[in-house]
Amino acid sequence: MSKLSKEMIHLLGNYGHIGFTFVAAIFIGMGLGIYLDQKVFDGRTAPWFTFIGLAFGIAAGFKSLYDIVKYQNRD
Amino acid sequence: MEHPILFISIILEKLGLPIPHGPVGHGFLEQICAPYMTYTWFTMIFLVVVGKMTLGNLEMVPGKGQNFWEILIGGMEDFFVENMGRELTDKLFPMIATFALYIAVANLIGLIPGFMSPTSSINTTLALTIIVWVTHHVIGLRANGIGYIKHFLGPMPILIPLMLPIELISNFARLLSLSIRLFGNIMAKETLLGILFMLAGAFFAPLPIMILGVLVSLVQAMVFVLLTVVYITQANEHAH
Repeated sequence: MSKLSKEMIHLLGNYGHIGFTFVAAIFIGMGLGIYLDQKVFDGRTAPWFTFIGLAFGIAAGFKSLYDIVKYQNRD
Repeated sequence: MEHPILFISIILEKLGLPIPHGPVGHGFLEQICAPYMTYTWFTMIFLVVVGKMTLGNLEMVPGKGQNFWEILIGGMEDFFVENMGRELTDKLFPMIATFALYIAVANLIGLIPGFMSPTSSINTTLALTIIVWVTHHVIGLRANGIGYIKHFLGPMPILIPLMLPIELISNFARLLSLSIRLFGNIMAKETLLGILFMLAGAFFAPLPIMILGVLVSLVQAMVFVLLTVVYITQANEHAH
């Protein structure tokens, strides 16, 4: 395999999953919030845990972006 | 969306075994006979038989078959050593290389009429992902001991209440993204092929998608392996 295509594959693998990881983090955070609101507290705390979970999910998405970039630029 | 023809399902049906009509059956036997299960077995048998046929008797001067495997396995090993280091590669090479071969073959057989990709079912990809996910935590725990928890605590103690949920969520997001990416890509390829074949199979409409399908299959197998390597490397490192 030539050097260029090897590097191309590397980049594709490292950056190709950014979109999916970002969305998955948001979904997990928000899903957790909705679960807490609807199942654990029976809707008494209705929108709050959802919003908190959404905020944590978005933060986690950016954190995973940061991790990907940091891993790419390590040592 | 069912495939037009799945020959293993037809053979099993002729043998009198129950074939589920939906994607997953109800009874135990029906679940065993679901297409993604039978084609998983098919892929495994294919890999074992081809490996046995080409590597049955190893020679000093390799023939065609042995040459192919030597290049493939050698290339993969070089890649792992470059990324994970010698020690981890020796420990984990069998698992990750098996995943790579299995996913690549499983993706590619879906392009042949009469076959389906086992990876186009979320059950298969989720199983693979859970194995990888548990493995990277086990590797992290063994390498760092109880200090592995520092991976989840952020850079300084005052930020722990903020960083702990974020790190946990982004860690669980790996589970979701790794499984759904592989599943989504392959399922999309399979469904698109099926629809195009039904609509305009006589005019070779699925042909361009098949060419893209080869690319997608190989790239997805590679992305899965690359991410496995990255996760294990990160878990093995000392926390910042």
